[in-house]
Amino acid sequence: MKIFADVTKKIMSLLPETADKSVVYCDELCAESGDKNAILFRSDTAYELGGSGKPSVSSIVFTDLPSAGDEVVLYGPDLSQISQDIPFAHITFVSLKQKNDEELTYEQLKNIGFTAFQIYPKGYHIRISPSASKEQVRVAKSVTETAEPLSFMNVGCSLIHAFKENRDVESVRTVFITKKDFDYRELSLLAQKVKKITDAVHSTLQLDELDCASCKMKPICDEVDGLRELHFKKEKEKN
Amino acid sequence: MNTKIFAFAGKGGVGKTSLSAAFIRILSEAFPEKKILAVDADPAVGLSTALQMQPVLTLDNIRLQIAENIDKGQTTEAIELLSEAKFHLLDSIVEKDNISFLAIGRPEAAGCYCKVNAYLKQVIEMLCENYDFVVIDGEAGIEQINRRVMENITYLVLVSDGSKKGVQVISTIKDVADKLTTYEKSGVIFNRTRSAFDSDSVSGIPPVLSVIGDDDNQAENDMQGESVFKLSFDSPLYLGAKKALFSLLEES
Repeated sequence: MKIFADVTKKIMSLLPETADKSVVYCDELCAESGDKNAILFRSDTAYELGGSGKPSVSSIVFTDLPSAGDEVVLYGPDLSQISQDIPFAHITFVSLKQKNDEELTYEQLKNIGFTAFQIYPKGYHIRISPSASKEQVRVAKSVTETAEPLSFMNVGCSLIHAFKENRDVESVRTVFITKKDFDYRELSLLAQKVKKITDAVHSTLQLDELDCASCKMKPICDEVDGLRELHFKKEKEKN
Repeated sequence: MNTKIFAFAGKGGVGKTSLSAAFIRILSEAFPEKKILAVDADPAVGLSTALQMQPVLTLDNIRLQIAENIDKGQTTEAIELLSEAKFHLLDSIVEKDNISFLAIGRPEAAGCYCKVNAYLKQVIEMLCENYDFVVIDGEAGIEQINRRVMENITYLVLVSDGSKKGVQVISTIKDVADKLTTYEKSGVIFNRTRSAFDSDSVSGIPPVLSVIGDDDNQAENDMQGESVFKLSFDSPLYLGAKKALFSLLEES
């Protein structure tokens, strides 16, 4: 997808060359589901990913990169190797079956994106701030202090499973970052840009404005290749 | 979880906060394995002092943050608002032993937050499901019941002093609650008085749960800004609250 191409490239360039762990998606690896309304109390929490004011970043990026299949990737220590609150990022690259921006609707993007809010692995309490592109996770003592501890690989497979239920999704690559020496600040800025682009798709499709000079979306259209073309194409179709 | 929700209501200055705090202490001592949520719904935020649990964020702070984002023109679908409310809510809960504390705060800006309020209410309902007991220290009067903040409760605990005005207020609250909320049981605690008001003189007053006289111990505690946990076991407030609490629990 052209409109996300530039930001995707920048996010990819931030990722370390070698992953600490990765698995190809398989159903058997999915984490056990918990109660969707359950909260994890501090007394039951081993640590919080992105907690105590540590950086936390979350984003779902729609990409047209060649599909490498469904995969979970981890940069940094896994859940059982962590003992205190640490910085955390979770980026999911979603490849759609239809590659043309023109076929894309805002509702499609949003609905696919909402998948991230709807997984509830047991002992892994996810909370997401869409406005700040943040994701923080309370991890239960019960899933880390056990003979078979929960892994990001399990959580990632659960997420991919949820995404794959949407028929527009071709493949999903979900990336967890827990490394100390990583540029979370830069990633956070890029995640905010992804959000801006998604919101701009919505706004441009709602606008009847045809004069770029007076349009409030001009700054983002100037920055993101393909957004202006998308707007004029939809406008033409309307008329 | 079969959550039992106690909601305190009554005229201002009758000791609702002290009694709410005493209920919370007694529940935490009697049921150490159970989870208790203390909700300070009084804009004066007195329960925080009584429990010595200071919130970093109030629910009203969250409401403002979310409303500001909406004003900035961020697209906000229902599911995003809900996620946003859930994200911040966890930061606003203070936890100590088996007690969690949440303060509603006071509205500091004008404007309509109906949309945000609807999601916050949904999130609070979800939150309550995680607790065995929820104790809500309501603001004075009937506003919160009118606004349906206290919509589904288990026990409506009305507090009054010995004055006719106090009794009239609880009679009105009961009347409004009967129309706008659902509750299983209600009762009255007469506080800072020697005897229960002659309830025959005002219609519709629920059963008296306990009568608590002047309590020097509690007055001293209040003056020092001490926690309810410092109150001695033989204090009239502690004993009266215990009697009222167990009479509600035993009868259900």
